[in-house]
Amino acid sequence: MKIDSQIDKEKKIKVFHVEGEVDIHHLKNLKAEIMDSIESNGWTYEINMEKVTYLDSSGLGLLVYIKKEITRHNGKLRILNVSEQVLNVFKVTKLDEFFEIA
Amino acid sequence: MVFSSSDFAVSERKVCLHNDIQMLINQMPATSTQMKMHVRGSSETLALIRRVIVACVQHLNLGPSLLNDIKLATTEACTNVIKHAYKFNDAMSFDLEIKTSEAVFVVEVFYEDPDFVPEKIPVPNLKEIKEGGLGVFIIRSIMDHVNYITDPRSGRVRLQMVKLLNSKESIGGQSED
Repeated sequence: MKIDSQIDKEKKIKVFHVEGEVDIHHLKNLKAEIMDSIESNGWTYEINMEKVTYLDSSGLGLLVYIKKEITRHNGKLRILNVSEQVLNVFKVTKLDEFFEIA
Repeated sequence: MVFSSSDFAVSERKVCLHNDIQMLINQMPATSTQMKMHVRGSSETLALIRRVIVACVQHLNLGPSLLNDIKLATTEACTNVIKHAYKFNDAMSFDLEIKTSEAVFVVEVFYEDPDFVPEKIPVPNLKEIKEGGLGVFIIRSIMDHVNYITDPRSGRVRLQMVKLLNSKESIGGQSED
């Protein structure tokens, strides 16, 4: 799994481009990268999952945690470019209704 | 909660189907075993297990939907072994077995967990958004038959996960024998 980020300070948007498979083995890196970047107020965070080829309940759990933390800091989380395979995991758990998926 | 007669009919149909699937598994000949793996109980092995599942499913010319479901259910099961049963102790190991026939694709996971009681697996309330506890729920949702067999004397657990092939009778569902 690989993660790169882009920051637009004017628009207060941070985009994380995640690549590869997201399972329990990769959670620490992903969690650290995103959690360390959460600002105190009013930022929007986007996770681009275009190149995510696999996601399971461990990855979903991390996304739930991240969204709760971002909301606690008055921010917003959007999940972008989810493949049909990955979207199915959100749907099975009804978490497609919890996240803003674009 | 009020149950209609159709609820009971669906429930009865599921029980019959699960019994039929269990009978199919029990009748599978020894030659139906495609692969046995002895796996180190480390999260590092999960990607490797997925590669094996992909190779096996593709070898049988099964479609992408079946592949994704079997890959996901197997990873969820193995993650639970590594995380909950073995508590990330990678000196432990478990076994994975893949059996197939024209009718079913069966993945079995054998591991040690003397304290495991299948009836005590919590069913998540999907209205309460939590970070964990979704693995078994996902397995039960996407596979047609899920069965935990425990041996209290040895502490050995055998998890059977079954996908029906060549059938529109895919029931998924949350029930368990």
